[in-house]
Amino acid sequence: MSGIISLNNITKEFKVLNRREGLKGSLRDLFSRDYKIVKAVDGITMEVQQGEIVGYLGPNGAGKSTTIKMMTGVLEPTSGELLVGGRVPYKNRSQNAQEIGVVFGQRSQLWWALPLVESFKLLKDIYQISDEQYDSMMKLYGSLVNIEELLHKPVRQMSLGQRTLSDILAAFLHDPKIVFLDEPTIGLDVSMKAKIRTLIQALNREKNTTVILTTHDMGDVDALCRRIVIIDKGKMLYDNDIEHLKGFFGSYRTLKIRVSGDMGKVASEIEKELPEFKVSSDEEWISVLVDEDKSKVLDVLSLLRHKHDIRDMQLEEISTEEVIKKIYEGGVE
Amino acid sequence: MNLKKYLTLTRAGAMETLQYRASAVVIVLGNLLYLTIVYFLWKAIYASSPSEVVNGMTFYDTLIYLVLAAALAASIEMYTVWMIGRDIQSGKIVLDLLKPMEYRSFYFWSMAGSMVMNFLMTFIPTFIAVEIMTHGAIHIGMNIVWFLIALVFAVLINYSIDFIVSTICLFTESIWGINIMKQVIIMLLSGATIPLAFFPDKLRAVVDHLPFQSIYNAPLSLLLDSTGDVRKAVTTLATQLMWCVVMTVISKLFWNVSVKQITVNGG
Repeated sequence: MSGIISLNNITKEFKVLNRREGLKGSLRDLFSRDYKIVKAVDGITMEVQQGEIVGYLGPNGAGKSTTIKMMTGVLEPTSGELLVGGRVPYKNRSQNAQEIGVVFGQRSQLWWALPLVESFKLLKDIYQISDEQYDSMMKLYGSLVNIEELLHKPVRQMSLGQRTLSDILAAFLHDPKIVFLDEPTIGLDVSMKAKIRTLIQALNREKNTTVILTTHDMGDVDALCRRIVIIDKGKMLYDNDIEHLKGFFGSYRTLKIRVSGDMGKVASEIEKELPEFKVSSDEEWISVLVDEDKSKVLDVLSLLRHKHDIRDMQLEEISTEEVIKKIYEGGVE
Repeated sequence: MNLKKYLTLTRAGAMETLQYRASAVVIVLGNLLYLTIVYFLWKAIYASSPSEVVNGMTFYDTLIYLVLAAALAASIEMYTVWMIGRDIQSGKIVLDLLKPMEYRSFYFWSMAGSMVMNFLMTFIPTFIAVEIMTHGAIHIGMNIVWFLIALVFAVLINYSIDFIVSTICLFTESIWGINIMKQVIIMLLSGATIPLAFFPDKLRAVVDHLPFQSIYNAPLSLLLDSTGDVRKAVTTLATQLMWCVVMTVISKLFWNVSVKQITVNGG
């Protein structure tokens, strides 16, 4: 079955000039033909079905934005097959544009000096949205966010949160099949992040819109994505459900204990006793990251109980954030 | 329906221009300063000349021409290169490329709004002021119609040239030098700063075969021509039309080829 987006062994190379140092080097660069090839995306294959929310993750410079730019049709892949809604995006950029919506967290497509409603009216004409569709969209928006407060405010007077919210609404306005959200919650406060997540989820549910989300905030991933794709250095590291992710590097759990006496001293003792596990401590807790494939948490706990006076304990599942961190640090192996 | 999506961009552009009242005032003040310099410069040039008519133009002919040229420049100069260059550097251009219409048209119609507003707020008042101060030195008749047609061509040619230069910015990823060069070339060779009548014959012959004179010299000479010479008007317009087609085709082709080369920064 082929999905709404399908990438088959996609590679994108950039030619980058080898820059030299210093003023003299810069002058020589003017005449240099010394290019090197940088593979930003290297053999990525994936299928995305209509209505999915896919978290597209990777460290900075991993090639996420490049992939998104290829899917939107701004960049042409160096090799491989890429279909979005059955079309080759870079060849049919205008038609493709009709079916996708884009939000780049740090940029706005809205008309800066004008009230939001004017931007909406413009988009309505540009995307040739019918009056009925526009009205029903407005109704939907009204039920999801406090739209009246935003509509008559010039975009430049909005807070970053309001602007992002508006940009998301603008991207969904022409009821696209796919919306690309590139770090939509960047720089937002906790409550605004929650609002934006709820909004994205609701729009995805109501319109069955496919959402491709890149983010560095694991809160976004936990709240929105069932499936995540991780890339690094252009290569795909992981593509599966978020549940499987936690078992990706063995089943980790964090055992937290509080002991009487000098916590720091006890912590370093435990570190010696359990050389195979990572031990860290702060003022309140000593945390042991237990790999359950090696030994059970309960065994570790009873071992510790013999030697130390444990006053309190907590058991934590490893967070998505920690797994991802491990994957990033592990890199491509 | 199709035209509507373009006009709606123009409308928004006009509205955005109106939001920035302070900038309009500054532009008018800047122009007044420029015109003061022009006045004294040319007064000195004419004072040093033995006759009152230089190259077929009196002092007041020259002054009227240059005042209107300055007003015209304020109306049709859209800083396209700056804007597109800035969007290229910031990466915002990606968002505009992702609109379901050609970028070239998208940008033109977005800019057209402020062009219309500037024309109404700068050129028309200047024209009226000149007309009152010179007690009707500018003939009003068919020349106005010719002028308006020529103006449309001038705008299109100017935009195509700007767009070509902006496209070059895609490769260089820097704007400053290229844009300054473009501005100097256009302001000089189009007759916006010095009437073409003052050019040496050889240079004049070259300039006449370049597209630049179609931007300022053509519409202004049609406007200031009181003889009602239809043949001259038709020739001028035909030349403009030719350049308009040529430049549009070049800018479109160049853009289409170049857009594949885009390596948008960031991300």
